[in-house]
Amino acid sequence: MRSRGSQTSARSVALASMLLAFGACLGYAESVLLPPLPVPGVRLGLANLAVVVTLATLGSTYALVVSLGRVLIVSFAAGSLGGPAFAMSLAGALAAWSVMSLLARKEGIFSPVGWSVAGSAAHVIAQLLLAAWLVGSQAPLAMTPLSLLASVPTGLVIGYSARLLVSRIPQTTLAFGR
Amino acid sequence: MTRGDGIVLACVLAVALLSVPAVLAVADAGSAAALISGPAGQTETTLSDNARYTVEGREGTVVFEVRDGHLLCTSSSCADQVCVRQREALPGRPVVCAPNGVVARVSGAAAKEASLDAVSR
Repeated sequence: MRSRGSQTSARSVALASMLLAFGACLGYAESVLLPPLPVPGVRLGLANLAVVVTLATLGSTYALVVSLGRVLIVSFAAGSLGGPAFAMSLAGALAAWSVMSLLARKEGIFSPVGWSVAGSAAHVIAQLLLAAWLVGSQAPLAMTPLSLLASVPTGLVIGYSARLLVSRIPQTTLAFGR
Repeated sequence: MTRGDGIVLACVLAVALLSVPAVLAVADAGSAAALISGPAGQTETTLSDNARYTVEGREGTVVFEVRDGHLLCTSSSCADQVCVRQREALPGRPVVCAPNGVVARVSGAAAKEASLDAVSR
């Protein structure tokens, strides 16, 4: 007979896997289907929706797995694995996860909306810094004001969507996920 | 939205707005020329004569054109095509192809000079 602990863990892994698949599909669909935003290099960041939902339902460790997993899968599908574009995605994903996890620890102070806005800004800053390092010039940092301003509405959209999505996940699923 | 979320939002907006003067200062500090740099070196040019520049990047080539006083990124071998979509390098808004390690920028002085040339034609 299986213990309740292993059952909970299996359900958590199953939920995380679903969210990883969800994030990878959103990320790939966004890169292939959606038109780019008017600000160069800025995207809506649909894949981050899965990371924010994972953070809210399963915690930061699973969120890291989902974040890194979807970067790997989307880069593999797009054929950019190991290249500079992959490095930029990875840097953005890690920065966003770090900031969002930090805010998520302060329960009651910040909501998924705040995590998402902060994560979106951290993602943008990390990518600009890495781009500056890759090209050996400070020129990419000139995009900082526009990119940061654009990260606010994208972060809000993803944050509110994540909150809506979390509210629709059955409580029994969340109870097992925790 | 919680009070903490509001603080996060205000902080991001403040950093974005505070970085504007720094970016404008860097944009005006350059010499009167358009600069295209890549892994193999850099080329300085003016915007007065139409020309085409093919730059060898890390993953392929990036093509720039000086056309009627504008520095345009016309094609790139990179996957995301952010540089091609951005299209034109402006003062304080360089065209960057990070996968290829290529940057094209126009200083404020060069842009003014180019616009004067464009008027005189």
